[in-house]
Amino acid sequence: MDSNVRNNKQTQAKKLIEKYFFQITVGCGNADCQNKCCLSSGNLEKSLTPNQAAVKAIQLYVEEANLCENLKDTEEIQKKNSSSSEDIEMEVTSSKKTNAESDSMKKIEPSHSSLNKKSNDNLSPSSPTKELAYIDEAKLSEMIEICEETKNYAPIIRSLGSVFSDKDSVLKSFQQKPKSSVDVILDRVQQVSAIKTMKKEDIRTLEDDEKDQDLMDCEENKDVKIPSYSTIDFESLRRSFRRLYEKNSKVFEALDNAIQSLATLIQIDMRIMRENEQFEEVLCCIVILFEIFQIGSSMLEQSIFRTLAAITALPTWAQAKLAHIWSSQCKEGLRPILLILQQIITLQVIANTYHRDFHVNDNEIVSNATKVMKIVFCANLLVSEMIELPKYLPEQSKGSGNEESMLEEEDEDDFSSILYQVDSSKNKQTFEDPLMKELSISVHDCNEPFIPYEEFQNEPLCDVIETDEDYMRYRNLVFNDNNSMPFSSNKKFSFVVYSFVLTPSAKTLALFFDSRVKMYSERRTMLLNMAYLGTINNPYLKLKIRRDFIIDDALAELEMVALSNPKDLKKQIFIEFDGEQGIDEGGVSKEFFQLIVEEIFNPDYGMFTTNEDTQTCWFNSFSFENEAQFTLIGIVLGLAIYNSIILPLNFPMVVYKKLMDVRNSWHDLKDWNPILYNSLKAILDYTEPDMEEVFSQTFEIGYENVFGAPIKQCLKSDGEKIPVNQKNKQEFVELYADFVLNQSIEKQFKAFKKGFQMVTDESPLKLLFRPEEIELLVCGSKNFDFDELEKSTEYEGGYTAETEIIKHFWSVVHGLSLENKRKLLQFTTGSNRVPVGGLSKLKLVIARHGPDCDRLPTSHTCFNILLLPEYSSREKIEERLLKAINYSKGFGML
Amino acid sequence: MSGAANRRLQKELADMRASGLRSFRDIEVDDRNILIWSGSICPDNPPYSKGAFRIEIIFPAEYPFKPPKIAFKTKIYHPNIDEKGQVCLPIISAENWKPATKTDQVIQALVALVNEPEPEHPLRAELAEEYLKDRKKFMKNAEEFTRKHSEKRHD
Repeated sequence: MDSNVRNNKQTQAKKLIEKYFFQITVGCGNADCQNKCCLSSGNLEKSLTPNQAAVKAIQLYVEEANLCENLKDTEEIQKKNSSSSEDIEMEVTSSKKTNAESDSMKKIEPSHSSLNKKSNDNLSPSSPTKELAYIDEAKLSEMIEICEETKNYAPIIRSLGSVFSDKDSVLKSFQQKPKSSVDVILDRVQQVSAIKTMKKEDIRTLEDDEKDQDLMDCEENKDVKIPSYSTIDFESLRRSFRRLYEKNSKVFEALDNAIQSLATLIQIDMRIMRENEQFEEVLCCIVILFEIFQIGSSMLEQSIFRTLAAITALPTWAQAKLAHIWSSQCKEGLRPILLILQQIITLQVIANTYHRDFHVNDNEIVSNATKVMKIVFCANLLVSEMIELPKYLPEQSKGSGNEESMLEEEDEDDFSSILYQVDSSKNKQTFEDPLMKELSISVHDCNEPFIPYEEFQNEPLCDVIETDEDYMRYRNLVFNDNNSMPFSSNKKFSFVVYSFVLTPSAKTLALFFDSRVKMYSERRTMLLNMAYLGTINNPYLKLKIRRDFIIDDALAELEMVALSNPKDLKKQIFIEFDGEQGIDEGGVSKEFFQLIVEEIFNPDYGMFTTNEDTQTCWFNSFSFENEAQFTLIGIVLGLAIYNSIILPLNFPMVVYKKLMDVRNSWHDLKDWNPILYNSLKAILDYTEPDMEEVFSQTFEIGYENVFGAPIKQCLKSDGEKIPVNQKNKQEFVELYADFVLNQSIEKQFKAFKKGFQMVTDESPLKLLFRPEEIELLVCGSKNFDFDELEKSTEYEGGYTAETEIIKHFWSVVHGLSLENKRKLLQFTTGSNRVPVGGLSKLKLVIARHGPDCDRLPTSHTCFNILLLPEYSSREKIEERLLKAINYSKGFGML
Repeated sequence: MSGAANRRLQKELADMRASGLRSFRDIEVDDRNILIWSGSICPDNPPYSKGAFRIEIIFPAEYPFKPPKIAFKTKIYHPNIDEKGQVCLPIISAENWKPATKTDQVIQALVALVNEPEPEHPLRAELAEEYLKDRKKFMKNAEEFTRKHSEKRHD
């Protein structure tokens, strides 16, 4: 209560002091003003410095001097001169930059400067036609006022034109205002709680402080200020131009011309630029320009085109800097910038027709927009939530456990750069993105992007990209000239290296072309060899398989190829079942892959285990199969991708992450082993000091081997003697997850990955796809065959397949959307995954749960039982079922 | 041959034996495997108050990071326990399991479920229906069943 009252008093006092300040510096505007304390009366000294004026204002306040009538309406003042009070507002939003104070004396509010003859400010409201050195919010609003009154926008157009066609003027514009003296004093006044009782001595001390301040200001003035993005007052910049746009958007047409010439100039200048500072200036301009583009993009089309061209001509480090500026200064502006770019691309795609001789790749506006979008993409990654990386694990185990790549890259201390060049020592066909490298970021480190990846994809663009042409360009970039990067500007443009604009289907198509091109080139070499060298070789990867020994035969044949001539794996696959007539036009190999996967991933086969809760497969760390077997499985997976065959695999995401050399953490347990994940999370979330007592857990964990026998594992030396407590629980969780995800299956996974890479090492897989997309590529979209489920379902409690309600039930279920089918599976079985072998392996049971009533259906996920009351009608079962699956999460029903 | 969980389990076992739960007695542990326990549930409420019911608790090797499983070895006439002795207990479900949960809390939840059946979420729908519609008949049947199948109580 007390402090409220005091605050009220303070704000009131502040307002009053402001009014006095205006009265002293501006006056009430009434020529016949009789108030001695008003500038308009002519009784006051006109050349007060703002500091003196401020002190005077406080004195007047203490004396409760006269206040002119029309001044009492501060609203109006604020409209007229968005000065002091505006500053107060600005000070709240902008950080206090001391170096910004340096030119405080030079440019204070225009209201002072216009009246203050000592000020060397060259703007005066009466002569707005005069060339401006820079522009800021106050000047702009003043000009708007004047133009409004005269209904003539010519002066403002001229001023903006002159400022925005000159780089230096732009740089000086919208810099953060120094803390104005009034505010400095007001701040101090506010610290004194009882203002009214302030004595003259207090004011004198304030005055003394002022003098010191002035001295300091003078000293600071000597420093030459380098314009920098950090001092741009974004808030006022946005406010001003939004206001201008609302008032008269026509001004933007003039602005368009100015910015065009500015951007062109910058682009020309950049060719001879050597100094980093010069580029910094360019960056600063670009940042300001993009703020304006966000407000009136439709009016500034040509300027945007030019600016985009300028940005793409920036050196990589400067582009990286731009990404940093965008991510740190205007996070909220990223999406609008992205939207502008998307609009430009889409418009260009729609407005032009593309044909054999004019590909969309040749449209420079599109390619420039795409290049700039990469900067936005990087900025987006910079502000995104990154994967929480293990802190306690030694470097080696942070990765996928793939020593090969780790050894190759030992000299690389920056792990993220390795991600893009694991194979670079083997062949020069993969490359890293220089911008991402500069920023040392990677898509793979991002947990949750700030702007979803989907928003970067441009579907109209993907529709017009000729994937074959685009892919050939990519190949030419990569293969013909290994020394220069495919990003350099004089190269032909390929969207493959800007894969974020591509939709998954477009990426899949690109990958398909990659495989086919390799297959055909293999075939061509083979024919040449045949013709010239007389060697007879099969242009296909031909496997002869006996149906009864499908795995043995496949593995034996593939092993031979892998050992003798691994390059043959890159031929088109051709399967021949022994004693069968079928010629492989794709169908036979599809069947082959289906059969082999079903068998190998069957837990009885012993190479993989299945997690009951998620139906996902995992490597069996006790497998009797030797490593070669796992290598062969890796080859099979690679071949399936290479030959565009979809496999019914149920690997958790972390497997694909590991394949792509993406670091994993304990969070990756979530989609594979949610019970373990939740338990570890519970340990981390436990904050009571009695942790050792409650959990009685040491750094020794237990797990089961294939026979169900418990086995102990120390997570670190003498682990059985180290209790888990509040201090080391994070370390425990990381070590546990690392053991489960990496250490325990290291041998198996390494072999598996080796096989996978034998087929995919030259493929742009990593460049194009994120792990989630690889899964989609391998497994296709999850497809629920509910007919199969219906056939295998059993009934209890009086229901049969012929019961009226069961018939209704299935007719409702078959009509559900994919999303709802998924939810129904989740509801009844606790997992929305299809088990290997299809839905028939679920063994769903539907049990009668009493006669017709309003109860919702319930389920026992432990036994895949759905409890269904005998509802009276089809409508009712549909309504109840939908409610149940949509409103229940997890175990909430019991 | 026993898993790493034994430190925790030995402690829990000692605590439970020391506290002497009235509703859960005769706790035995498999000689070769501390991961397999058994004991007798002695419910307070009719119709089960006259009998004792043997249960088996099987702890996974990963305990306490994975929940134990519970099965009735003695037949029981109960809407939430099926003919095979399986029971769906939320506290040890995959979704709800917490590694801080102690076995005696699990037992208490089980005893509470036996004492107060939850016909809303039955494993045996026909018993649930009888329980809701004809409580007298249910009680009679259950008492009969308990007398016939349950073990003797030593009290």
